[in-house]
Amino acid sequence: MEDVISGESCRNLGRALCIITGASKGYGRTLAFQLSCLLKPGSVLLLVARTADQLNEVKEDIVTLYGGQNKLDVRCVQADLEKTEGMEKTLQAAKETLSSEMEHLLLINNAASLGDVSRFAQTFTDPEEVNRYLSLNVSGALSLTAGVLQAFPRRLGLRRTVVNISSLCALKPFPSWVLYCTGKAARDMMFRVLAEEEPDVRVLSYAPGPLDTDMQLQARRFSGDLTLRRAFCSMCSEGQLLSCRESGAKLMKLLLDDDFPSGAHLDFYEL
Amino acid sequence: MSAVSGFGKALVIITGASKGFGRALALSVAPRLAAGSVLVLAARSDDRLQELKRDLCRGESGLTVRCVAADLGCKAGVEKVLTETRDTDPDIDQLLLFNNAASLGDVSRYCRDFTDVDEVNSYLSLNVSSALCLTAGVLRSVPRRAGLTRVIVNISSLCALRPFPSWVLYCSGKAARDMMFRVLAEEEPDLRVLNYAPGPLDTDMQLQARSSSADDSLRNTFSVMHAHGQLLTCDQSISKLMTVLLDDKYPSGAHLDYYDL
Repeated sequence: MEDVISGESCRNLGRALCIITGASKGYGRTLAFQLSCLLKPGSVLLLVARTADQLNEVKEDIVTLYGGQNKLDVRCVQADLEKTEGMEKTLQAAKETLSSEMEHLLLINNAASLGDVSRFAQTFTDPEEVNRYLSLNVSGALSLTAGVLQAFPRRLGLRRTVVNISSLCALKPFPSWVLYCTGKAARDMMFRVLAEEEPDVRVLSYAPGPLDTDMQLQARRFSGDLTLRRAFCSMCSEGQLLSCRESGAKLMKLLLDDDFPSGAHLDFYEL
Repeated sequence: MSAVSGFGKALVIITGASKGFGRALALSVAPRLAAGSVLVLAARSDDRLQELKRDLCRGESGLTVRCVAADLGCKAGVEKVLTETRDTDPDIDQLLLFNNAASLGDVSRYCRDFTDVDEVNSYLSLNVSSALCLTAGVLRSVPRRAGLTRVIVNISSLCALRPFPSWVLYCSGKAARDMMFRVLAEEEPDLRVLNYAPGPLDTDMQLQARSSSADDSLRNTFSVMHAHGQLLTCDQSISKLMTVLLDDKYPSGAHLDYYDL
């Protein structure tokens, strides 16, 4: 994941403030590395996650690799995005980077949880459990996006891009994945509404494909639906899971090309 | 009512039953129920529920109507409705749950204004979580049994499929609900699950949409529809829903729209 994406070295995303949520591991971590080498000198990379230790490691690795040559300012925000305090802390950190020379605001809504996939819809009788899930996976993404767009209003010369890390689950129901599917469907719609409302903002829902991450491991081990669990296990044993790097590279290309229709849901396999 | 044109002996639960579509639904379902049926009506306002109960009991025989004044946006409210569905007659032919309760949310603002997580959370709690938890709870208290048909209806909207500017909460909530019920349909092949989009209804919610939508063109569209008598009455839309339910041929988990039927 550490090398520059081949063939893209001459193109970049401008002098940017790039915010990545869920940046401490898995896909978010990979995106942080891949974006680092596409940002022009003077850019700020804001990494947000719940665990400070892992986040700091990501930061150190990025600074070691690209910090010097790209004059990249990497900052970590330890925050829980399902809570108002976490949201405010993240926004405050974003506002501190405010600069008139910034050309691009790039928000990657990546933070998400799988939810309890060991159970079927019938067993979700506790609204508080469902509320907690939706708070992190839906409300958190909307409120953070709203806060960031308010903090960095439309301005001539400022390009604003909002990415929603989506899933096939936003379109297709998976048995025993009611929370995940519901949350992803809600997010896709939320960002489609945003795209309708803000024609100057570039909005993308990107479904990264089945990634070889901790979340996949969780899916393979715990999915209540046997068919689904077996499908994931055989994908894993046959090496069909995607590396974060491979999936991230397609997202980088989409961002560099910048010709996707705003609000679109694009899937790794369709690109 | 003959057996074919009715739901037989049923346990029917309607949320948001005190007014609008829910109220009209209760009035339309009641005459299609056989003696011994139970109709559970849930809403926040007890007065209106009692009024509806009086209207329903006029002339109906053998129908038990139970009113539950409950706020479905909280756990206690969901529990309260569930309590009324327990210890029902074990020999009912049909369970019918209409997840109708919903709010429009604040349509006077755009996405960029929803910076308050708690506001979004409380919207999703009423419109998404409670529908899942009530459905789960009802399915547990009325388990699968030979001879029993269990039907779960989600009152959906075109907004579950199409983004409307300045309606982020409503669209996100309806999209979430549709998916939730599609997952349920996948998981429980013995259930009959329907997402029904009733069309633009002439209700209080429409009035709110017409007067408060921040998006000008949306507001104008609704005003024109209203002025030209193009809004549907609840009864018009319900008669199609009744036909779909009684014919019982829809694929479980489908999203069906008034205009597609």
